[in-house]
Amino acid sequence: MRPDDRERGAMSTHSVNPPQPVSLSRRGLRERLGSELSFVPVALGLVALFVFFAAESDVFLTSRNLNNLLVQATVTGIIALGLVFVLLVGEIDLSVAATSGIASVLMAKLVVDADLPIPLAVLSGVLSGVAIGAASGRWITLIGVPSFVVTLGVGLVLNGIQLLLLPNTGRYNLLNTGVERLAATYVSGLAAWLLVLSGIVAIACLRLADLRDRKAEGLPTSLLGSVVTPTALIGGAMIAILLFLEGQRGLPMPVILFALLLGVMAYLAGQTRFGLHLYAIGANAEAARRAGIKVERIKIAAFAIAGGMAAFGGILAASRILGVSVSSGGGVGGGALLLESIAAAVIGGVSLFGGRGRVVGALFGALIIATVSNGLNLMGVANEARLIVTGLLLIVAVSIDRGIEKAASHG
Amino acid sequence: MAHEPDAPILSLRGVSKSFGGVKALTDVSLDLVPGTVVALVGDNGAGKSTLVKTMAGVIRPDRGDYFFEGRKVHHSGPAEVAAMGVQTVYQDLALCNNLDAVQNLYLGREEVGPWWTGFRLKRARAERRSKDVLRRMRLDSIALDRNVGAMSGGQRQNIAIARSILWEPKVVLLDEPTAALSHSAAAQVGKLVRDLAGQGLAVLVISHDIHHFVLDNTDRIEVLRLGRNAAGFDSSDVTGEQVVNAMVGGNEAINAAG
Repeated sequence: MRPDDRERGAMSTHSVNPPQPVSLSRRGLRERLGSELSFVPVALGLVALFVFFAAESDVFLTSRNLNNLLVQATVTGIIALGLVFVLLVGEIDLSVAATSGIASVLMAKLVVDADLPIPLAVLSGVLSGVAIGAASGRWITLIGVPSFVVTLGVGLVLNGIQLLLLPNTGRYNLLNTGVERLAATYVSGLAAWLLVLSGIVAIACLRLADLRDRKAEGLPTSLLGSVVTPTALIGGAMIAILLFLEGQRGLPMPVILFALLLGVMAYLAGQTRFGLHLYAIGANAEAARRAGIKVERIKIAAFAIAGGMAAFGGILAASRILGVSVSSGGGVGGGALLLESIAAAVIGGVSLFGGRGRVVGALFGALIIATVSNGLNLMGVANEARLIVTGLLLIVAVSIDRGIEKAASHG
Repeated sequence: MAHEPDAPILSLRGVSKSFGGVKALTDVSLDLVPGTVVALVGDNGAGKSTLVKTMAGVIRPDRGDYFFEGRKVHHSGPAEVAAMGVQTVYQDLALCNNLDAVQNLYLGREEVGPWWTGFRLKRARAERRSKDVLRRMRLDSIALDRNVGAMSGGQRQNIAIARSILWEPKVVLLDEPTAALSHSAAAQVGKLVRDLAGQGLAVLVISHDIHHFVLDNTDRIEVLRLGRNAAGFDSSDVTGEQVVNAMVGGNEAINAAG
């Protein structure tokens, strides 16, 4: 049982290789398309759609229409933003539309029937969404049942409760209650510029902090690649949107709120430990568990985020259409609102198989859906065709997703 | 190693384990010594995996004793065994394919900023530390920011081993690290295994690859057959045939057949 000393010394000297530099940039394009650049195909698709509709309709590129388009995209986009978290851990939430409906009805009831101050009512609505999501998540992780069945059931339960909460008229009118100001407020002039600039400064600061950390650890850095280019791209897009919308009435409040939430959620998913663990669980829950990650807790948090975002999206929608009714939250079963929210996330490159995609995909996906809808409308195409095109887009997106999944695992 | 002989750091004595009516292990003993690589070989169903899981604390034996650093241990499970300094790399590697090498290495124990940053990951520090660790293990050729899903089998195996080393264990148990690897990749893993022993760790490797891996890279070969200790060899004075005979039952098997 003695260790054998025969060639031990010889072997370890033998195995000393000359140190090679640790390479950092061997990531192929295919690999990057599967992760941090997963939104690029859809961004290109969006540009193509813009070019197409601009050629087909004179009205499309007017700032009035773009304003409409952006606001149309926000409700779907905000719901999709929350769904991304659930999709990343490899689950799905089919109750998000119903959650948005019940949260908006609850908020309206508190404002109209109980005369609660609007911020409190909105907060209650959002918290109800968080609670619904957390409860679904707890049940799914506790019993180990498929999330799509549980959330389908939860959605129907919520639809029922929504009907119970509504008065006999089947509708709460929110005109002149103050709630409508949430969606109808515009920020323009100096305030709008300050908002956009502070957004750009925040991004630049985060990027610079990364650069400083890397320098401190003696790692290779690139000011151009890691700070200047991303900041210029995002900042440029933000300024372009601002310039377009200044011609109308300024930045619509829903768009500002969406941008803020997008920033916070992108940070959460991309920069924090919680975000990293979402991705780990989505790829290999067993490995995550063995690494000491509290898989159940993180899944519950993901459902809670989806519920909260859905609730907020629903409240925003109520504020925009000046009331809540039976059809708030897409009506029974969630209808187009549910399908378009899921489609937005998937079209934006978030995988239904878990662990792949970026939060910003929800933005691009929602924009694509809103653009198709808006553009076809302007071209005078009937509603039937709009449904067919959106459906086909979803099929194409999920097929591309499958293709990338295969390529990434055999790359 | 001219000085006094090292005492075993991990020993199993007289371990037996049944699953239902099936006897997986019967009265098995095994020693792991610091600075030494032990190969655990045997046919399918010989009890190799059961024995490794017993050492890892996943399986609690029906009879027999677990000694660690000379003391009899009554552990509560795999977490406590890992905390004592016994790390196990299972065959499935437990890697996340969508994460890069750095993220996989530190999965579950990331260094993060304060709460008001939302526990922001200290990516740069993790990257630099990963770089140091991989360099020390002579795995410099692994690109830190590539998704491990896009890496070769050998590189994935090495990352899984490197991750277990980050815990600074005293014992490393490797379950079939070369099963799916080419000869050259297996040789790379073999080099790594020898390096670990060279740094004073006790290493146990399950392998089927007697001729290309076990004889070249281990000090001691323990053979299991039908859940019992069948033979033990010094790797330096044994031939592949002798090992294989011990695995399949050699003359006994022939006699039984005749």
